[in-house]
Amino acid sequence: MSDDYLTDALRNPRGRDGRAPDVFRRGGWVPMREYPDDELVDFVIVGTGAGGGPLACRLAEAGFSVVAFDAGAWWRPLEEFASDEAHQEKLFWTGERLCDGDNPLKLGTNNSGRAVGGSTVHFAMVSLRFRPEWFKSRTLLGYGLDWPLDWQDMWRYYTEVEQALKISGPVRYPWGPKRPRYPYRQHEVNAPGLALARACEAMGIAWAPTPLATVSAPREHSPPCVYRGFCVTGCATNAKQSGLITWIPWAVKAGAEIRDLAMVGRIETGEDGLASGVHYHREGEWRFQRARNVVVAGYAIETPRLLLNSANSRYPDGLANSSGLVGKNLMVHTNQAVWGTLEEEVRWYKGPPSLSLSEHWNYEDSGKDFFGGYAFMSQGPLPAAWAGAQTGNHGLWGQALVDEMQKYNHQVGLKIVGETLPQERNCVTLADERDEFGLPVARVTWSECDNDRRLVNHAVDFMRRGLEGIDARDIWAEADGTAHLMGTARMGSDPATSVVNADCRSWDIPNLWICDGSVFPTSGGVNPSETIQAIALRTANRIRELARRGEL
Amino acid sequence: MVSKTRLDWLALAVTGTLTAVSLVWQHREANRSSGSRPANTTLIHSARRLNRGAGILAGAVLLDSAMEHYRGQFENRAMYTPLITATLSLLASSKGFADLTPHSGKLRNGIYIGTVLTGVAGSGFHLWNVTKRPGGFGWTNLFYSAPLGAPAALILSGVLGHYAERLRSETRNIVPRVLGLPAGQSMALMSAAGLIGTSAEAGLFHFRGSFQNPAMYLPVTAPPLSAVLLTASALAGANRPHLRWASRLCLRFTLLLGVAGACFHALGAARNHGGWRNWRQNLQAGPPLPAPPSFTGLALAGLAAQRLLDEEQSVKAHYLGWHP
Repeated sequence: MSDDYLTDALRNPRGRDGRAPDVFRRGGWVPMREYPDDELVDFVIVGTGAGGGPLACRLAEAGFSVVAFDAGAWWRPLEEFASDEAHQEKLFWTGERLCDGDNPLKLGTNNSGRAVGGSTVHFAMVSLRFRPEWFKSRTLLGYGLDWPLDWQDMWRYYTEVEQALKISGPVRYPWGPKRPRYPYRQHEVNAPGLALARACEAMGIAWAPTPLATVSAPREHSPPCVYRGFCVTGCATNAKQSGLITWIPWAVKAGAEIRDLAMVGRIETGEDGLASGVHYHREGEWRFQRARNVVVAGYAIETPRLLLNSANSRYPDGLANSSGLVGKNLMVHTNQAVWGTLEEEVRWYKGPPSLSLSEHWNYEDSGKDFFGGYAFMSQGPLPAAWAGAQTGNHGLWGQALVDEMQKYNHQVGLKIVGETLPQERNCVTLADERDEFGLPVARVTWSECDNDRRLVNHAVDFMRRGLEGIDARDIWAEADGTAHLMGTARMGSDPATSVVNADCRSWDIPNLWICDGSVFPTSGGVNPSETIQAIALRTANRIRELARRGEL
Repeated sequence: MVSKTRLDWLALAVTGTLTAVSLVWQHREANRSSGSRPANTTLIHSARRLNRGAGILAGAVLLDSAMEHYRGQFENRAMYTPLITATLSLLASSKGFADLTPHSGKLRNGIYIGTVLTGVAGSGFHLWNVTKRPGGFGWTNLFYSAPLGAPAALILSGVLGHYAERLRSETRNIVPRVLGLPAGQSMALMSAAGLIGTSAEAGLFHFRGSFQNPAMYLPVTAPPLSAVLLTASALAGANRPHLRWASRLCLRFTLLLGVAGACFHALGAARNHGGWRNWRQNLQAGPPLPAPPSFTGLALAGLAAQRLLDEEQSVKAHYLGWHP
């Protein structure tokens, strides 16, 4: 088959024989340290995305022996990322999962990834900070619950992430407390981004160029963004500062071993009740890696799935689950949009999909009939994704679909990242069905609540008036849609009501850690990747500190 | 693939090399000009230097506006104008540079004045382009709309050329004056203003590029320093040889920087996706190759001003009855 070489990484593990693929050079390799299975390594990390990637990097740099596992492939972006939406689905986690509840989730594109680097390989690069009050949303805003983290502490780690990824952001950010200047300047705002700007000006609210994890000027091995537009299908130029080209190469350089195509199925605990290592499947066989500490960083579905599947006689309800909250309180972001057609040509596929945004309704508390907030961003769906929205949520078919697609180059849209409330009924559990490794697949249950719906209604109404304000025609609202995953292993200050503490350390098993979007107690109205990375850097720092004090 | 460390070393090495070359050049020049020259020759020589500076600026504008306006698909007919006037200014300047006579060219002067007017109109157009977009006079538009400083280079080219022509017609006067000031002083101030303005533009765009290469700090430090030293030495009078020496050295450094800058911009283009193999895109997406030589043109004008200052002082000294 002609696309054999494009999918080779799905069949043949590359992190082996003492070397790892060099993502910056075609066909290149870099040396990688390897640990035998029977060596007791300091840290095993399950998952190499926004949580596991930075953690592996920083722990290795601190001198710990680290082995990080990923179920996905180790891609070479310069050679293997096609400008083809269908082909690039190879980056998504499309393994079987059962979705139910009142609003069954659509999993894959915008909420899960399966690759070294995790979802950061295909994320939209939107890098936003939480509003400070959200870390104490129960106390200050009256909903959800408080995080055990201090916002000023997090502010420092956000800065560290932004510096590490050379986030390109606006010189002045209109919302929230003063933040340090973004290391790289904002990108040029494309036509759909300017449409958002004009809509905001019509509505009398602030807008800004979006802080993005793609460089606006050269950076070492990264050329500046060429505005190719295939960001959410994988950046083929390495301008995108994904984990695949940042944390992972830095981790390898610092001595970490990354095992790709390695599916971790179970965490083993010893007689002392502590985690002793992980069973993983690689190259056709199950193996066991011994470890002093295990970090689970598989995101909000695979993390609880692994913890629940690791149940044994000592922990019959799954690991770290004495609170009964593992898998509970799954949150998503509502992702509704309003679309319209402009007289002038827009060509919204050019450049990153969300080059401008407004966080007005994240920071404004009056005039709302709901708890929480939302950001809205300019849009640039690629043709196949757009056709999907037309046949799906818009319900068009036949000639009507053809006519609508003809308007593609004139269309604009505003889409929200809307906060949803944590609810215990929204959860990840194990189904009876088994996957190709013989592991029970995850059942993902999600239903919106009244508050979630009121937020969406407010947003759709506001954005509709925004588009009317710039004389868009044929305005329609896409009422369905979610993005991102959070919750299912929340952090907190009380072992009875949370799974991990502020350091992402499980209350039940002191050498078992959870470090990804699962630990979010609330979801906030912004894309989660920067917060996950900030938490990972904080966790790495705390682990160093604890190790220094002999409390590991 | 250029690591940060390599960029640091490159910037350091280039700064060192440019300084060394400037010093050697300055040393040689001092030995050569120790014999005094007749006043007329000096004036014509200075005028020719100015013509050359005007020509370099015009050339830079011609290439830059051709590339950028091509990128903008000549959406507005007016976008052809700078190509035409810059070409004319370039032709007038080469003619002026070849002209050893003490007479100003009427046609050349007319072209130079036209060039100035085009630059003024262009600045107006660019300002309009910036302010009409959402965000108005904000950073996004300053970075990515029509660059405000670009048409100013056309103004500078015209002004330098006009000065050259005025200077030629002043050869009969003992102390030549341009625009009411002694020619040397007047030219020094004008060159200094040009250096500051051009440096401000480089500052804006290097800020947009996040000063990712430390060498990007050179054009926002050396030219303003040159401008300050040049202004000071024009105002301070004859008895400040050290100031004059430092000003000359700094101008020479700036002159060379204009050439080095073009090389750095070539490196910048190479660091875009596809490198030089993708030149058709990267010449446009990368930093503009013709922009840095503007500093060369302006530094030439500054050095010509220095020479005139020398001349004025020796004339003054002659009439006061002593010889330097």
